[in-house]
Amino acid sequence: MGKVLMKGNEAIGEAAIRAGCLNYFAYPITPQSEVAEYLSRRLPEAGGVFLQGESEVAVSYMILGAAAVGERVFTTSSSPGISLMSEGISYMVGMELPAVFVNIMRGGPGLGGILPSQADYLQATKGIGHGDCRLLALAPASVQEAAEMVMMAFPLAEKYKNPVIVLGDGLIGQMMEPVEFPDHLATEPPNKDDWAVNGMDTRNSSRRNLLRSLYLDPEVLNQHNLNLRQKYERMKKEEIRFEAYNTETDYKALIVSYGTMSRVCRTAIDQLKAQGLEVGMIRPQTVFPFPEGAIEEAAEKESCEAVASIEMSMGQMVEDVQRSVKGKRPVSWFGKCGGEVPTPEEVIEFVKTIV
Amino acid sequence: MKTKSIQLEGIVIIAGNYGSGKTEISINLAIDRKNAGVAVRVADLDLVNPYFRTREARQLLSKLGIELALPPDELLQADLPILSPLISGMIRQPGQLALIDVGGDDAGATVLATLADAFAGRDYQMLQVVNPLRPNSDTISGCLNIRNEIEAAAKMTISGIVGNANLIDETTPEDIIRGYDFVKQLSDESGLPLHFITASVALLPEINLNRIACPVLAIRRQLVPPWKKADKI
Amino acid sequence: MGKTFQKPEALADQVTHYCPGCTHGVIHRLIAEVIDELGIRGRTVGVAPVGCAVLMYNYFTFDFMEASHGRAPAQATGLKRVRPDLVVFTYQGDGDLASIGMAEIVHAANRGEKFTTIFVNNAVYGMTGGQMAPTTMPGQRTTTSPFGRKVEEVGMPIRVSELLASLATPGYITRQTVLKPKYINRAKKAVKKAFQYQLDNTCFSFVEFVSTCPTNWGLTPVEAIKWAEEKMLPYYPLGEMKTPEEA
Repeated sequence: MGKVLMKGNEAIGEAAIRAGCLNYFAYPITPQSEVAEYLSRRLPEAGGVFLQGESEVAVSYMILGAAAVGERVFTTSSSPGISLMSEGISYMVGMELPAVFVNIMRGGPGLGGILPSQADYLQATKGIGHGDCRLLALAPASVQEAAEMVMMAFPLAEKYKNPVIVLGDGLIGQMMEPVEFPDHLATEPPNKDDWAVNGMDTRNSSRRNLLRSLYLDPEVLNQHNLNLRQKYERMKKEEIRFEAYNTETDYKALIVSYGTMSRVCRTAIDQLKAQGLEVGMIRPQTVFPFPEGAIEEAAEKESCEAVASIEMSMGQMVEDVQRSVKGKRPVSWFGKCGGEVPTPEEVIEFVKTIV
Repeated sequence: MKTKSIQLEGIVIIAGNYGSGKTEISINLAIDRKNAGVAVRVADLDLVNPYFRTREARQLLSKLGIELALPPDELLQADLPILSPLISGMIRQPGQLALIDVGGDDAGATVLATLADAFAGRDYQMLQVVNPLRPNSDTISGCLNIRNEIEAAAKMTISGIVGNANLIDETTPEDIIRGYDFVKQLSDESGLPLHFITASVALLPEINLNRIACPVLAIRRQLVPPWKKADKI
Repeated sequence: MGKTFQKPEALADQVTHYCPGCTHGVIHRLIAEVIDELGIRGRTVGVAPVGCAVLMYNYFTFDFMEASHGRAPAQATGLKRVRPDLVVFTYQGDGDLASIGMAEIVHAANRGEKFTTIFVNNAVYGMTGGQMAPTTMPGQRTTTSPFGRKVEEVGMPIRVSELLASLATPGYITRQTVLKPKYINRAKKAVKKAFQYQLDNTCFSFVEFVSTCPTNWGLTPVEAIKWAEEKMLPYYPLGEMKTPEEA
């Protein structure tokens, strides 16, 4: 199959099937309902399971149940829906279950709006659920990358026995771009018999499996959390992904931006170059783990006077950027948080104020 | 060589599968006909899509003197299916050309059935936009299937085809020619006339128009992501 | 001569944490006996609740998992939908199922999910220390209704079996008890029937148990049985509320 023109939400649904995930549970919410609409036709045809749950709360536990028997499973939602799923996500982290959650972010807080946003950054990277709880978070900047990240997310979830979140904004879900699904990202799920509650007969074993997150002994719970921590530390070593743009130049300013916002920044950087001002960009493709080393190194470049975190939120990633830059350069924030995406002109105007 | 002129008047409904390019065509067709001296009105009947709707181009169209039937301003970004009474009014008095841009698939066309009273006894044309580079409309049987679903949901009949082969910025002249051959074949097999095909203004000079027997609507892309500029009108 | 009475294979060799006079132990045993008799231990997955039975997985010898409070039916839906060949049951108390998990149980029953739910109704939150439940009787004192349940403020107790039986989707809905030996054989038959409906892929199956909580009720085990029989059974009548054959 060559390239086809697809809406981000459709590509996300198709990518999961191509990745070998045939189980999807979801609850409708704008701007990502097209994933459910697409899969409600496509999954039965592919011999999979499609079910619309009664709420996002219930959906998160349907995901948990399906993951518990060792099957690949995923769901998609948008900001308010992810809040409702956060309980189930925390239980899945505690039980060490793999699954993929996609958040096509809209404006908040509360109902907010239906236009694109990146306002769930802190939720996804630091506060996805109660307890010591982290998710590997992938942030696509195009329909193609959204498809690839969904395909990559399943083996990553299995590697760490932890849910993975794909953090896209409304525009990634709604826009149409050419896409193709790389065959090499279609992976075989590993054997999960050592932990899955798939019935003793399934694994020819007389040893039963038990899945739980409850550890009443404080020493045991402490050890459990330290084990989880070890996984997060391993993610920081092995999974950081980012893209550098125009960083081979003697840039005066460094932008850190991800997702849709980074597309706008790229246009702004090209236009600034034409005007004689070089600006570099680090685009995190994983927002947890965060490419702090790459950002620190890029900020330290002698020509670089200032660093800006440009995001469609009131300034959330900027905290991670400040942490990464360690005070070596001034760090500022620019963005919008109502659903409007800042234009290249607005980014240009802002960058000129910091150099 | 100059492309042939598009002949359309009265009520023209632009339907098709999801993401086939209905809205971009509605906007460009409205401008094309307006430039040809036709009085044009456009109704945004896309109740299923939250972004990238005709309403995004409202300033441009109003400036060109094209009359718009849209939900009230304060509800333009609402996540609600709002059926403005202006639309049934427009159907009752279509003027020279009234373009109705509906949402994708049978889901998007369902709203047409609720307008049956306004359509009663009136002539209309309903065009199916086909992009063979979209999943589901990449085969003749797929397109015929979509046609049946739209007709059943709208309780109306499709009367013609529009070819809209494109991969947006990655479209090649070969895509346009192959797309033309595809919709030509669809036209032959379905018995539905092929009204026109489309090509972006940038690609137009590279296309051998002698190969194409129907009119070609030049597309100046208006529904662009925020990091791109809309083509100049 | 072999043993005439022995521990079911499905039951672990463990001392339970349940209080004297509590019926969880008897209900556990009935489930284990049924699983043994049906020969399904190797393909059964239990879903434990949040409530007094939170640690029930320690007392069985087949695959088990915990659920969060009230969500067991959603979890069982996920399990069963992707692995229809497994035998799945949830085990839930009244706070878990009838309060926080009401949406999940109603929708699972209404979708006709092919799993079994065992609902233990003792009219009180046991685990958290005797608070008022949706099934607490009118006038019943609990730690959060110290002057007795006031129906004018919090409504009447919910009869879950009747509520689920009112759904138009076919299902097996029954209310039982194990308060006295005379009830136990009937209750076991109901549990077996519930699992059989699941094995035959017929319908959702649901067995409610009217139960006791002497510790939180402040009664001796014998008094608690008497109280349940006199106060609860008239309001929560025993019997089959619905069978799939009726539909």
